[in-house]
Amino acid sequence: MRTVPARYGTAALLAVAAGLLWTAPALSQETVVVRAKLIQGEVPADPMAPIWSTIQATEFPLSPQVHWQKRIGAVTVKSVKVRGVHNNKQISFLVEYADPTRDPADAAALEFMVGDKKAHFAHGQPMGQVEGGPVNIWYWRNDAPSAVDMSAQGFGTLKKQAQQDVQAKGVWKDEKTTIKFKERKQSLRKDPKGELVKDPKTGDPVVDEETKVVEQEVSGVWRVVFTRALTTTDKEDVQIQTGTFPNIAFAVWDGKKLESGDLKESGSQKAISSWWYINAEPPPDYSIYLYGLVAVVLAAGVEFVIIRKVKKGQSA
Amino acid sequence: MRGPSLAVKGGILLAAVFAVLKFVLPLFTAPLPMSLIWLYLFLATVGIVVYGTLSGESTEQLMGPIFRFLSGEGLNGVARYARLAVLVLFPLLVGWETYSGLVPNTQPPAENRTIHPAPPGEFVGLSNPVPNTPENVMMGKGLYAAFCSPCHGAKFNGNGAASDGFNPPPANFSDPGTIAMLQESYLFWRIKKGGVGLSVEGHPWKSAMPRWEVELPDDWIWKIIMAEYAGAGQKPRTWE
Repeated sequence: MRTVPARYGTAALLAVAAGLLWTAPALSQETVVVRAKLIQGEVPADPMAPIWSTIQATEFPLSPQVHWQKRIGAVTVKSVKVRGVHNNKQISFLVEYADPTRDPADAAALEFMVGDKKAHFAHGQPMGQVEGGPVNIWYWRNDAPSAVDMSAQGFGTLKKQAQQDVQAKGVWKDEKTTIKFKERKQSLRKDPKGELVKDPKTGDPVVDEETKVVEQEVSGVWRVVFTRALTTTDKEDVQIQTGTFPNIAFAVWDGKKLESGDLKESGSQKAISSWWYINAEPPPDYSIYLYGLVAVVLAAGVEFVIIRKVKKGQSA
Repeated sequence: MRGPSLAVKGGILLAAVFAVLKFVLPLFTAPLPMSLIWLYLFLATVGIVVYGTLSGESTEQLMGPIFRFLSGEGLNGVARYARLAVLVLFPLLVGWETYSGLVPNTQPPAENRTIHPAPPGEFVGLSNPVPNTPENVMMGKGLYAAFCSPCHGAKFNGNGAASDGFNPPPANFSDPGTIAMLQESYLFWRIKKGGVGLSVEGHPWKSAMPRWEVELPDDWIWKIIMAEYAGAGQKPRTWE
């Protein structure tokens, strides 16, 4: 009986083990989730609290609101940086964005789905083939004495809730910040003689488009903190359970007064995002280490029994 | 001289199957999920065991090296240390798998969104009632510029100035995977009913596509459709 092949068996087993380890999931960069870090003590209600500088921000691009009337073609705020912390009772979100002017009508809002049904990001408007749910909107405006806790399920249904659970505070600083946004430049293509080049199929002038991400330094930053209990007794509120991934959307208004007397952005004319996610970090669960240890002991026990059995068989 | 035993051949076969499924296949098509790779490995293992236990000699060839490896009989040098390593690593691997199965998920839920869900019956097979004339296409392009280009872009590539904040992003009509594989009636449904008209697999709650039926008459929508195909250099899919 040959005994050498066991060496090859070893190599094969090691190869399979290496393959298994190769499949371990890689860590990925955060882009779509606001991670609300679990902290000890009170959550910060102050936008300038030092703890915010220790929390990683997630940046979300914003679009001009073009989904429903009354639309807007361009907006001041191109993106928001959002941070979150919670202490198992209260949760705070810091929304930070560049706005060159501090205006009384400057405003920002967070929007959440309420309940188990999906809700459209545009105020929970009805969907044709899906029964949607309502949304909960946390609204802050610079000249308002307090935040407003609102609900909506369709256009024209936005209302202030009877039970107000949200607090908010905004601070504007005339400091420099760098914003990143996509810049698009279009130009009509010309031939070496300076004549417009036309598409041979359609006869239309050919348009060249250049898109690049631009970093621009601007003055003026709003920092707005929204604070609320993770869960409330109000059925119209979003209930945030730790470890889950509720949806969140953002809206910002530049309340600058134009020469005409109108506000630059107000009502449905605003910068918006569609749905992203938040995740309130769950408290550490040490039982998973215990279960892992139990699995190690069980596997080692099974291994021991098998080897003993094999050895007995060989000596018999 | 005899070649490697059945156990070695089986081990090499399993490693080869794993390598092909995990690393080679993704070069040609979409990567397989690990659950499917495990299933294939399980089936390959069953095949090896069935083949290896057809006779007493083949059973010895298959199981003998494994038993000797486990018992440590006749092992020396590197093989001894390798056995020790495997015996230590196996329980640790089981512990790690248990831990990873229980550890809270830190990734958001997978978004299995269907980009082109089936349209409602009343929108299937409609033909464009507006004649495809240069004048109508030109008018369609004007309407497109006014109502659609802020998101879908002046070059019909989904790169409009208002596209950045939306998830999912507006469709890129110059991509052969969008309007080129759809009939005009499908676009009519999508433009008329907007994002909120999608079925559940299309995730209507996320779509920023307006419900244009409240603002645009049908013939304008048909003209916009003609303009989209013409501008993007695509042709609508026709009935086979």
